[in-house]
Amino acid sequence: MIPNVQSAVGRPPAKYRSQFRIFVDIMRVIQREGNEAKPTRILYGANLSHDRLVKYLEELKELGVIQESGSNEKIYHLTQKGVEFLNNFRKVEAFAGAFGFKI
Amino acid sequence: MAPVIWFFGFDSLMEFIAFAIAMAVALQAMKGYALTRERTLLYLNISFLLLGAGLLVDGLANLIVLLSRFHRNFIYLSRLGHTIDFLAQLVAYTILVIVYVQQTRTLSGQIAVAALPIALLESNPFTELILIFLLVYIAAQTAINYNVSRTTNSLLVFGAFASLTLAHVFFLLFTVAPIFFPFAHISQLFGCLLLLGMLFRVNQTQ
Repeated sequence: MIPNVQSAVGRPPAKYRSQFRIFVDIMRVIQREGNEAKPTRILYGANLSHDRLVKYLEELKELGVIQESGSNEKIYHLTQKGVEFLNNFRKVEAFAGAFGFKI
Repeated sequence: MAPVIWFFGFDSLMEFIAFAIAMAVALQAMKGYALTRERTLLYLNISFLLLGAGLLVDGLANLIVLLSRFHRNFIYLSRLGHTIDFLAQLVAYTILVIVYVQQTRTLSGQIAVAALPIALLESNPFTELILIFLLVYIAAQTAINYNVSRTTNSLLVFGAFASLTLAHVFFLLFTVAPIFFPFAHISQLFGCLLLLGMLFRVNQTQ
């Protein structure tokens, strides 16, 4: 956990997100958008820069949890594997949360 | 002091049920760790594995003593089982306290960890107090978590650790009056059943 200190400019420091957490955030945005999300929606929803978004989307495609469709404008969907992953993650999150652990 | 004789056998049965529940919690934590690689879940897994192992050893030792009809050659097994259970609980609760301390970095937790070397002597009323001290800290953390999140699952976990704390208070009082022996085991089992309730709820999460 990051200590509760103020940065030099008087703002709280940005909370560190692991790569795993970013993957989950991206997949949740896609699910929230009705399993059809454009890159711009994911970019804002998961709070990522364009370069990082492209990198993570590629990695998620390689993992087989999302798939891409569309020719002019790309649209991302969760695969069955992705849906199952999010369901399992929700259970783990509820379990850890019951003990007060954030993941 | 001799425990309540009529309760012998029931205590082993209760410990076997509590062992199964502790293993189920450990398995859930392991599944979570396999999915997320989050270390707190690994520590939770180790902690409940130890708790389960201690309960199993103590339950088996007591059962052997019962089956031997309290033959004096087997009586020492009960003491050995209790000591192993005590040490397993000591390490398990210490791991949990350290995890909570790392999350909150509070002074009270650091004091709890600093007090541990004193406990590594043998099982006695004083060391039982150390377990109570550790459990009070864990129960307080889970109470804070419930106060913040207000979820049924966090309430069940708080209830579980509060019951386990109460169980150890009864174990401590048992050294004064044997009547507290059944209450201690019932409270311990109740705490584990609350954890089982939490597990059912978590696995119904959609």
